[in-house]
Amino acid sequence: MTLELHATPAEVMRGVETLQDFARAQGLPERTIFGLALALEECGSNVVNHALQRDAQKQFQVVIEHTHHAFVIELRDGGPEFDPTAAVDRKPQAEDDDLPGGWGIQLVRRYTDEIHYARDGNENVLRLIKRVNPSADEKKLKNEPKPSTGH
Amino acid sequence: MPLSIQIQNNSNPAHAGAVTIKLIGSLDTETAPELERQMTSCLAGPVNDLVFDLAGLSFVSSAGLRLFQVARKQMVARGGGRASFINMQPQVEEVFVIIQSLPGIGVFKDLEALDRYLATRPRPNLWPGTQK
Repeated sequence: MTLELHATPAEVMRGVETLQDFARAQGLPERTIFGLALALEECGSNVVNHALQRDAQKQFQVVIEHTHHAFVIELRDGGPEFDPTAAVDRKPQAEDDDLPGGWGIQLVRRYTDEIHYARDGNENVLRLIKRVNPSADEKKLKNEPKPSTGH
Repeated sequence: MPLSIQIQNNSNPAHAGAVTIKLIGSLDTETAPELERQMTSCLAGPVNDLVFDLAGLSFVSSAGLRLFQVARKQMVARGGGRASFINMQPQVEEVFVIIQSLPGIGVFKDLEALDRYLATRPRPNLWPGTQK
């Protein structure tokens, strides 16, 4: 499935909803769909806000594929060269820390299994891969610390 | 994916200055600006406890997390105020866990847990210009 999206937040979410509908039709678990939707929202927003500077006249492409073993999302934009995979994960925030930066790519890393960046001619190509394997999905998230509750 | 925003002042005198923001739907790159507008207007008043009820929030991205962080900082700047969260759905809670986000923000299972906390904590300073 190939989507041509304008560089606006509304178009990013149109892409996200299309992905969710497609993934549900493919029978993916809701937890996996949530993670894929979040990954596309974060990466699509990055393209719109930074690469294409919210210029609604500009477009970017999203390709969604589902194979036997993986769900693949590919984003392709004509913005300046930028490799989001080079971003460093933020450390846990301190009380007086400033506004979040780099949280988006951190979330994408946690909800996908592979992220690949390439510069293809004048285009950024970001490929997100989520292996469709429930046991692997559980393994990846089971050791997460629990949030504090009931102060 | 729309976002419904319902802002309610707490009528309980024991919780004067507390405001609940109930979010239903998706807090994302498209809907976050509207929440920011409404939150800014809300926080122009004498609010010293901000409670986000997330029972109906099915999706949140870093665009939404940024607003929660803004709320936290504004509450802290008011001298002991606090932003709290109740009724998080599991997938939203998982995002918070991944980010290990928002230190200084309280996460409570439900309204009763929040009430128990508020009943035992010291009263924060009120917004400048208001009576204590």
